[in-house]
Amino acid sequence: MSTFTSTSTGTTSDGGNGTMSATTTKAGRRPRLSGMTWLVWRQHRAGFWAILAAAALSVAWMVYQRGRMTDFLDGFGYPAKNLDEVGAEFQQYHDAFSRVATGLSAIPILLGVFLGAPLLAGDLENGTAKLVAAQSMSRTRWLATKLALAGLVVVVSTGVLSAVFGWWWNPVKSEVTVLDWTSAEAFNNTGPVPVALTLLSVFGGVAIGAVLRRTLMAMVVTFGFTVAVQLVWSYFMLSLGNVITVTTNKGVMDENSFPSLPKAVYQLDESYLTSSGDLLGWSTCSDGATDAARELCLKKADVVGWSVDYLPMSQMNGMQWFGASILFALTAGVAAFLFFWGRKRLV
Amino acid sequence: MSDVMYAGESALEAYGLGMRYRRGWALRDCSFRLPAGRICGLVGPNGAGKTTLLSIAAHVLEPTHGSLSLFGEAPGSVESGRRTAFLAQEKPLFRRFTVAETLRLGRELNPGWDQRAAEDIVRAGNVPFDAKISTLSGGQRTRVAVALAFGKRPDLLLLDEPMSDLDPVVRHEMMGTLLAEASERGTTVLMSTHVLAELENVCDYLVVVSGGGVRLAGDVDDLMSVHTLVTGAREGEGLPAALGHHTLVESRTSGRQFTALIRPEGPVTGPWETDTPNMEELLLAYLRSPDAPPLITPTAQVQGQAFGTGTVAA
Repeated sequence: MSTFTSTSTGTTSDGGNGTMSATTTKAGRRPRLSGMTWLVWRQHRAGFWAILAAAALSVAWMVYQRGRMTDFLDGFGYPAKNLDEVGAEFQQYHDAFSRVATGLSAIPILLGVFLGAPLLAGDLENGTAKLVAAQSMSRTRWLATKLALAGLVVVVSTGVLSAVFGWWWNPVKSEVTVLDWTSAEAFNNTGPVPVALTLLSVFGGVAIGAVLRRTLMAMVVTFGFTVAVQLVWSYFMLSLGNVITVTTNKGVMDENSFPSLPKAVYQLDESYLTSSGDLLGWSTCSDGATDAARELCLKKADVVGWSVDYLPMSQMNGMQWFGASILFALTAGVAAFLFFWGRKRLV
Repeated sequence: MSDVMYAGESALEAYGLGMRYRRGWALRDCSFRLPAGRICGLVGPNGAGKTTLLSIAAHVLEPTHGSLSLFGEAPGSVESGRRTAFLAQEKPLFRRFTVAETLRLGRELNPGWDQRAAEDIVRAGNVPFDAKISTLSGGQRTRVAVALAFGKRPDLLLLDEPMSDLDPVVRHEMMGTLLAEASERGTTVLMSTHVLAELENVCDYLVVVSGGGVRLAGDVDDLMSVHTLVTGAREGEGLPAALGHHTLVESRTSGRQFTALIRPEGPVTGPWETDTPNMEELLLAYLRSPDAPPLITPTAQVQGQAFGTGTVAA
């Protein structure tokens, strides 16, 4: 009670700079929070610690699973031996992968509903926003500190999870049968995407809470919002890449006529190419009774080769960063709205 | 104290202050001045706009009409935020914090924090420092909230129904603390209440709001001195005609007797008993008669405010 440390809170200006202003105690061992940072951390510490602890547990589990998987792969002789021949023995490693990937995909929704929505709605509902507003610091600073700390917890936890999941996946990255890189499980759980998706979901939840001012209602609406974010994202996800088209001119009947594509590509479309450059569906002439009849039909249609549209895996990283930057921009927009709204209505 | 402060600065000035919600006016055309260093009772019936007025001063609400200044500054400014403390009616506190943590909140967020003053108020009520707020009784919670407001060392203390959930003994003790602290530091206090008896020995200034507007504002002594309570025998219906040239606030008849509260516009002569009203009689009369002409004494008038009450000798 008697620690009369001078409040190292700096200015009370509306600078909105709510970063860590940690001072060290006389003991000098643990960093000591002070000012608004202390208040926000103290108020939400149970939630923040729960998130960080859950992230740490998940990381430990993934590290363990990766060890088991690499041991198995080494014993099997991968990558010298093709994983197609492994059969049912690899299934348990595959299953562990899918389970964790599915769990990680739920993080944006969970954090949006349970961290984002109550962050301000709780204070507005039970009046503690008034209590904080009655102190000497500006409410802009309060809002900035809340967003900064919640954002920090989100970035740290999802960032570490994303990195460790990517590390686990890396040895079998090119095996489409384990995890297709264009699937939501892979694309949304690696690189910057989980961080960006979760930040947008959480800040969206905060904004919904600030407007509705009721915790339960805000959580319900935020659930709808985060699910909508997931749906819209998965709809546009693959539009982020530059589609590559490869064409051939060796006919289509021969077995080797199909263009050779890099490993683990995502094939969007394949069609027949005519000499004039038109595209025909690959079912053209498929009703020909014999090969000879089909060949005649194809000749008549002037088909000279294949045209295949695909996304190579080399684009994955670029697509993730491009998509994440769009999500980050949206998040910044939500934060700007919150500051604008908070100047008048945040009590 | 009042003489020194009279010409001095205003703690609070309201100019045509109004708050209109979709369902109607909560506060309308409210203009008055509260000089610094006073302990002012804000009186009015339920729903009269007391909480709205205090919330505007505490920058919890933005007025839809008019303006309000605290020591010459707008309510949202850094300066007025530092000089003002507000105790909301529901006395919100973080339920999961301990008492000590609640005081730490005040220490962390206020540059001029007085830990000793806050601790003394808590200790006087034997509230354990390590108890969680959620385990405290209503009265103990009020005590912690008051300690938080006092620890800020404000120049203006805005209290919305501060003592409503305290038992009489604690209420008396808290009022004593409040008065001692306020007079020691020259703190201006604006305190809403509808317990009129609470005000008698506490306030030296009064603002009565009713029907959305200010009905009465000024120094208690001034207000008392310009009102006269007249009691006499009834003569037919209504009041005696001889009282007609005084400003009538309220009259009541019971049996063969009438009682009237008037603002004399000259010597009151007649076969009646005249008396100075006590504060409760004065306030009740104004609260019961919303149509009575408002009275705002010169100390309570803001600049440019002209009221047809020029006879008030302040």
